[in-house]
Amino acid sequence: MKLVRREGEAFVFDLGKREERLLIEVLKLYPLVPTTHHRVSQTADPGRGAEFQKLLEETLAERQRQNKQQLLAMLKDPQRFKQTAGGGCRLTLTPSQIEWLLQVVNDIRVGSWLVLGQPDEKKGKPIELNNENARYYAAMEFCGYLQLALLDAFERQN
Amino acid sequence: MTETVEPAVLPDSEQEQQSKTRSELEPGYLVICWDDPVNLMDYVTHVFQVVFGWAKQKAEFHMLEVHNQGKSVLTRESMERAEHYVHQLQSYSLQATMERDA
Repeated sequence: MKLVRREGEAFVFDLGKREERLLIEVLKLYPLVPTTHHRVSQTADPGRGAEFQKLLEETLAERQRQNKQQLLAMLKDPQRFKQTAGGGCRLTLTPSQIEWLLQVVNDIRVGSWLVLGQPDEKKGKPIELNNENARYYAAMEFCGYLQLALLDAFERQN
Repeated sequence: MTETVEPAVLPDSEQEQQSKTRSELEPGYLVICWDDPVNLMDYVTHVFQVVFGWAKQKAEFHMLEVHNQGKSVLTRESMERAEHYVHQLQSYSLQATMERDA
């Protein structure tokens, strides 16, 4: 995924054929992070903490629902993915769409990491791959690559 | 402009409500971001810039604190604002919590 040009406010990215297929397949995994994964506080008193926690989970669930709707609309939008002669496509995104896509892609990255059992090399907990979870490893790595490409576009803007 | 005169003694429920509101408005809550092995450093820096409107240098300072020390206190706020920031950070899938400042 490579930034090729700016069109006014929007950024135009070039994706190869396999990148395009992978992007679409990976985005279909959204949402992957359960709303119960996040804790609002580590020390809050049980009464008030439960109230905050419930509100947080409701807020995150509503945001995930909105994001999923927006994502489905984006995947169906023929103007969003314009096919190129080489078999790939041109993806056009405004800065706010990039910001939104960063959140979506990071949900898939973090959710994939959760499915993989929260591996942590620093703590001596390596990834244990098998036939069931290998696709989540691929999704996590691909999402990291997408994030860096999107952040690089922002960097160039400034 | 008309002036209102506060009654000298407030009813119990009103006093309770007022003290609760005061405690909620006090900047006594810390917003903390915790380290994890999955969020990319550049991404965390970017999220801090967006959520708090910080310059890149300040955002990087806090990102490195999270990375090297396991956590960073990002801001001290009222309960409502701390809650708002935690929701924002978690919608970006960062590990953030709000803790009462002892």
